[in-house]
Amino acid sequence: MEENFSRRLKTAVAGDPGASLVFLGNFEVEEEWARGETGLPRLSSAGNSAVVNRMEEFALLLGGADDHVVLKTRPDEDYLDHLRRLGLALPTVHVVAGQRPDHMVTRDALADDALIAALGELADRGALLAPHGVSALEEELAARSRLPLAAPPAPLCKAVNSKVYSRRAADAAGLRQPRGWACETLDALDAAMAHAAELCEQGVTLMVKEAFGVSGKGIAVVDSRRRLDRLHTMITRAARAAGSDRAAFVIEERVAKDRDLNYQITVGRDGAVRLDFVKEALTEGGVHKGHRFPPDLTTRQLDDIRHAARLLGKQLASDGFFGVAGIDAIVDTDGGVFPVIEINARNNMSTYQVRLQERVLAPGQSALARHYPLRLRRELPFAAVRRLLDGLLLRSPGEEGLVVNNFATVNAGAGSGPYQGRLYGLLVGAPERLPALDEAVSEQLATLTEEPADAR
Amino acid sequence: MTEATIQQPTTEQDRVTAAVTEALGDVLQRELTGLEPGTRLFDELGLDSTGVLDLLLALEELLDCEFDTENLEMSHFATVGSLADHLTGELRAQR
Repeated sequence: MEENFSRRLKTAVAGDPGASLVFLGNFEVEEEWARGETGLPRLSSAGNSAVVNRMEEFALLLGGADDHVVLKTRPDEDYLDHLRRLGLALPTVHVVAGQRPDHMVTRDALADDALIAALGELADRGALLAPHGVSALEEELAARSRLPLAAPPAPLCKAVNSKVYSRRAADAAGLRQPRGWACETLDALDAAMAHAAELCEQGVTLMVKEAFGVSGKGIAVVDSRRRLDRLHTMITRAARAAGSDRAAFVIEERVAKDRDLNYQITVGRDGAVRLDFVKEALTEGGVHKGHRFPPDLTTRQLDDIRHAARLLGKQLASDGFFGVAGIDAIVDTDGGVFPVIEINARNNMSTYQVRLQERVLAPGQSALARHYPLRLRRELPFAAVRRLLDGLLLRSPGEEGLVVNNFATVNAGAGSGPYQGRLYGLLVGAPERLPALDEAVSEQLATLTEEPADAR
Repeated sequence: MTEATIQQPTTEQDRVTAAVTEALGDVLQRELTGLEPGTRLFDELGLDSTGVLDLLLALEELLDCEFDTENLEMSHFATVGSLADHLTGELRAQR
């Protein structure tokens, strides 16, 4: 039987399939990587940081019985019961002492000396720290807790995560990519803008992307010379105002896209490269909405992905990177593959679904990862969701139904007054049954919004 | 009222509100009807954080001006009315 993902991951990052890892779901580590970098104009207050920070609960699904996870609050007992009934072994949970909704989990952990001492005891027993992605904050937590990092140093992770790196790696590997230019300084930006202006004059639509932007953010669509020039001015001014000549951006042609793909490779410390999976990403207006697995691809398209995975993995290994990397790709309207749009030097949403899939997906079944937006008035316990979705939740592997894979995001915004939450789940079943299942779940959850008083 | 009148934008605020409606339609790629000052851009129309910059760039083109992008706040983009108010204020300040 094929070795499971958990053992492969441990072999790759710790050199031992039986290693004990301490998982940390520091989602949007990109915000830390982007600190001090010149960016496009953005709004000064992010509306849903509380929900994003609670995405840390996904990390619960990465670890087995020998592992540990640091969470912001103790998970709902009924939610844990839902997972255990599917036969999923779960890691030991360590909860930070005083979580702040506006803090990502690493910041909460750094403020909790007792937790750091407890992590130190795990370090004495040989455990390693396995964050979602590594910034200076996770390095600080590793140093203070004495847990060795099961990942490369922060500067390397940041460099690899840059969209400038993706373009250069694709160039070096001779992989197909949209026409475009990468730059890291204002002078190089001027040169890239001059090239881009020529394309623009020919009526080509361009994308100006921050090299360190969070997925789907920090991107501007440019369909006129005026707009291109305006962005050029905005970026130049922002850099000068910060007293910097740094301007890490990618400008490239917008490809006529049919579908978004996402695939994951695991690069071992020994340089071994493994393609873990290929998924089809569902996006709406640039925002990630979920994944379908397995994707509907031709042999040729899959071969293109395998080829790219091998070459990019080799490139990453030669640059000293190891661990999980997620790669975004697209299929154009002619069925051709652009195998690398960006490389993410961190876990991906899909990473957190692999163990679940291995556990619950029967041969011939598909999984559709979704999230359902909720508008709530008061805290919603998992028991209420279980009653509401009676007959729709997955009860045992091989059957069909929804597996909830993050419940903390549901009540992340709870306080005084109405709030928005997200219920993340994996729909499992025969491929043709999934749309109806999705609709049934959506309909039931919609009743929470319409009749908040009956939510319990 | 004794005779039919064709509704033309009569004030700066009307002109900006009309531009906001047109720019939103452009960015969200659908025809928007029945927008009111209280219509919420994120919750009701589905604008996202990426769309904000596109919206601003489209508005600069429609209104033939450049806005200050240093001090953008979420509250400015809350509703059609709040955005029109903010931009009208910016245009006045530039004169």
